[in-house]
Amino acid sequence: MSGAPLEKKEDGIGAAGLISSGRHYLEGSEACVEGALMAGLKVYGGYPITPASEIMEHAARRLPMVGGRFIQMEDEISAACTLVGASWAGGKAMTATSSPGFSLMQETISFSIMTETPLVIVDVQRPGPGQGYITTSQEDVMQARWGHHGEGPIIALAPSSVQDMFDFTIEAFNLSETWRTPVLIMAEETVAHMREGLFVPDPDQIKVVLRKKPQDLGIAPEDYQPYGHDLVPPLADFGDGYNINHVSLAHHPDGNVANYNLDMHRKNVDRLHDKIEGNADVIARTESRFLDDCEHVLICYGAVARTGVEAIMEARKTHGIKIGFLRLVTLWPFPQSLLRKRIKKVGTIFVPEMNLGMMMHPITEALRDRCDQVVSIPSIGALHRPEALLEKIREVVKC
Amino acid sequence: MLKHPMLKYLKESGPHGTRLPFIMCPGCGAGQVLNYTLHAVDSIIKEGGARKEDFVFISGVGCSSRLTSHYLNFDSGWTIHGRALAIATGVLLANPDLNIVVFTGDGDAAAIGGNHFIHAFRRNINVTVICMNNGLYGMTGGQVAPTSLSQAVTSTTPYGNIEDAFDLCRLAQSSGASYVARWTTAHPHKTIKAIKKAISKKGAAFIEILSQCPVHKKQTPVDMIRAFKAMTVPINKAEGSSKIPVGEFCDTPRPEWTQKYEAIIEKCAGRKS
Repeated sequence: MSGAPLEKKEDGIGAAGLISSGRHYLEGSEACVEGALMAGLKVYGGYPITPASEIMEHAARRLPMVGGRFIQMEDEISAACTLVGASWAGGKAMTATSSPGFSLMQETISFSIMTETPLVIVDVQRPGPGQGYITTSQEDVMQARWGHHGEGPIIALAPSSVQDMFDFTIEAFNLSETWRTPVLIMAEETVAHMREGLFVPDPDQIKVVLRKKPQDLGIAPEDYQPYGHDLVPPLADFGDGYNINHVSLAHHPDGNVANYNLDMHRKNVDRLHDKIEGNADVIARTESRFLDDCEHVLICYGAVARTGVEAIMEARKTHGIKIGFLRLVTLWPFPQSLLRKRIKKVGTIFVPEMNLGMMMHPITEALRDRCDQVVSIPSIGALHRPEALLEKIREVVKC
Repeated sequence: MLKHPMLKYLKESGPHGTRLPFIMCPGCGAGQVLNYTLHAVDSIIKEGGARKEDFVFISGVGCSSRLTSHYLNFDSGWTIHGRALAIATGVLLANPDLNIVVFTGDGDAAAIGGNHFIHAFRRNINVTVICMNNGLYGMTGGQVAPTSLSQAVTSTTPYGNIEDAFDLCRLAQSSGASYVARWTTAHPHKTIKAIKKAISKKGAAFIEILSQCPVHKKQTPVDMIRAFKAMTVPINKAEGSSKIPVGEFCDTPRPEWTQKYEAIIEKCAGRKS
């Protein structure tokens, strides 16, 4: 059951109601909530769904301990919407759901991109389509980018450990406040239900970002433009006296509607795009090993990185295959130039994914001139076993 | 020049030109509802019940929802079709001290937003919902709504509406609203009083205002406003009458959501130390 350690061991919680520094043994779902609280989570609006409900249950228990508020809404649509309202009123907000619920949140994600509303959504992915199967999956990685309507760029992270569930949730809030945009954590059932060690640094070692507000920049209410001033406009909270108007229809920098002004709308879409895609090198992160001497490379993300790294270690050690490893920490914005910087020229790029080959497409687009072939290693509903990955690698490189 | 006393609350003009005249069709009731609401808000501010910056207006999508971001010089959000109450819930949870007013229409509140409508009243969150009910979808061209009367001919019921209408006040009341009242655009003073009462109360309040859509109903505004007077009856005289009851349906305060949650916070804050 989720939350057991904290229930039984109150000393796991420090004086401010936050998880204490040091070593813990937690489930990914719990680590996610503890990270969120560390980042300053104030409102959680949720709706139950397997396998994401543990995050919600842990939030329900922990939020009032730090003076925050938890609400179980009537569906995933309203759950996502509470984050929008909470964020506008100055409260850091998050929800977690699983794939069918993620589908229901798409309109709100699009709305939040256009209104430049910071919020965090965790998708604990399960296999589809439809109700599909209740195990693990990476089948929503394309929906994360393209599922919402319109040209709305997104930031999406892919955790692969309990430590990541803690660290990436803090990072997700920091990114959302920095770039004034919704941020997705594309978890899988594997990492959400994984139980392993977590190290919590001292609070003063944890970077927590707060949104840029007009009053901090010396902007008076009468001069304030909720969609102006900068690439990332400052954001006034409700109640600050800035008469902020949040609008998702085409708008001018001051928030006034511009529905008969296509040039203005185009400027907005371009700015939103520049804000995220134009800063892909700043926002996106990858992790890599053995790229200097590699003849082949395995590229993966999320839980697959755990078995992926085991497979390449074995391939190198036992079979002498010169294979490198690259993990996409950030799925979106896609780290295209980072990939091109890191990977010079290889034979085969292996892409194991818990889907039928989704991220293989942007990877191929980025590296088609840097390799002889891209080999997808698909899996539906189950994490690849390291030996299965090794077998595929050996079969392709004939070793 | 003599100015309308409520203009001080509106964005009369801006760098992109004058905001007035109104974008609504001639004779539309939305302007009256805006006027009544601002009178209620003005009265509360003047009496020291709240400051201007304590008010937040949230709306969904539809003609009525356009009032927020087009005209109001308040904190506001013009949000997603049907979801104003869900977003208002989030605002409240992050800052329970704000006075949240939701502008909505009958399609926005009762069709696409029906689920959030009943749950907001069940939870008794501190919000005042002002619903302009014109019995159809105005912005999209006069289609049938869940509030259209039986047999109504609309652009999507060309042979007459075979469905029955929701009674939104009864729906809000049975869902658990603290305060419910129905008035029409033909009852300005009663409406202002009801809105003021609703905002001043802690809890979920619902004000339904029957509002005219002369364009899609193909009648003159004057005839429609006269008809509102003729087709309504005070709620205490409504029994046995086929007319639409107007007045206060309920005024039954009960503990509000964030007030109850405060007790949990206090309990948990004690536990952690």
